[in-house]
Amino acid sequence: MLAWVVYDISDNTCRKHVSDACKNYGLYRVQKSVFLGELNSNERDSLAIECEEEIDEDVDSVYIFPMDDQSFKKVKLLGQAFDKDLVSDEVLTTFF
Amino acid sequence: MRDSSVLITISDVIEYLFCPRFIYFIYCLDIPQHEEKRFKVLKGRDVHEIRRLTNTSYLRKKLGCISKERNVFVASKENHIKGIVDEVLFLEDGTAAPLEYKFAEYKDKVYMTYKYQLYLQALMISENYDVEVNRAYICYTRSNNMVKSIKIEPEDVDEAIKIAKKTIDIIEKGVYPKATKYKSKCIDCCYRNICV
Repeated sequence: MLAWVVYDISDNTCRKHVSDACKNYGLYRVQKSVFLGELNSNERDSLAIECEEEIDEDVDSVYIFPMDDQSFKKVKLLGQAFDKDLVSDEVLTTFF
Repeated sequence: MRDSSVLITISDVIEYLFCPRFIYFIYCLDIPQHEEKRFKVLKGRDVHEIRRLTNTSYLRKKLGCISKERNVFVASKENHIKGIVDEVLFLEDGTAAPLEYKFAEYKDKVYMTYKYQLYLQALMISENYDVEVNRAYICYTRSNNMVKSIKIEPEDVDEAIKIAKKTIDIIEKGVYPKATKYKSKCIDCCYRNICV
């Protein structure tokens, strides 16, 4: 299932660790503090524990929102938008 | 049981229960699962290490515990199984019980894999200490250390031994076993790319 990871972290090092963790799970960066991509329930749980370890829970926040395909199709993109097909893994590599 | 040089761990039986093909990939094809690269596995090991170092003399009085031993190596020569029990609790009524720590949340039921792990631990504690074991405990560290009790019947232990034998069979005979019927397990399986 697709999942959004949105965070607000004040410390630069912690923020870097969280963004690295998101990339390690194969998520796409859609904005500076927003990642999106396919995560199964175990990966969602695992990423949440990793983020929990990093952040200062008194000042920082990390949200992980799962999103079903139907809702994803209704997402509206304005301005500098990300590639929806790429994020939802619909772009397949073709070998010739 | 027939003479066999194979000695399996309790973890192997858990992996068999998750999917019999795990045993084939690990032992027959020698492809490691690299569980040490999984964050939750590493975190779980940390939790065990912290448990090992802290609160060493704490006895769970609510469970009727009068003494305990920790990180106990147990084995059953007859059944070709070995393993480590987090804690062996000796209870007021003269029986003993294994206690297993899990870096997991309690989700309204105790999973079958956990139960079989405890059945085998109970069998080996009973054999090694010559004491009756009729229950086991499991502590969910991600649910505020909630402790759940599991009743152990002799037929449960017999069933666990049968599963252990099936695990040994795969290693000895090298037969490619059928995959688990629960397809949801395949989603997060490390062998999904090579499993046909």
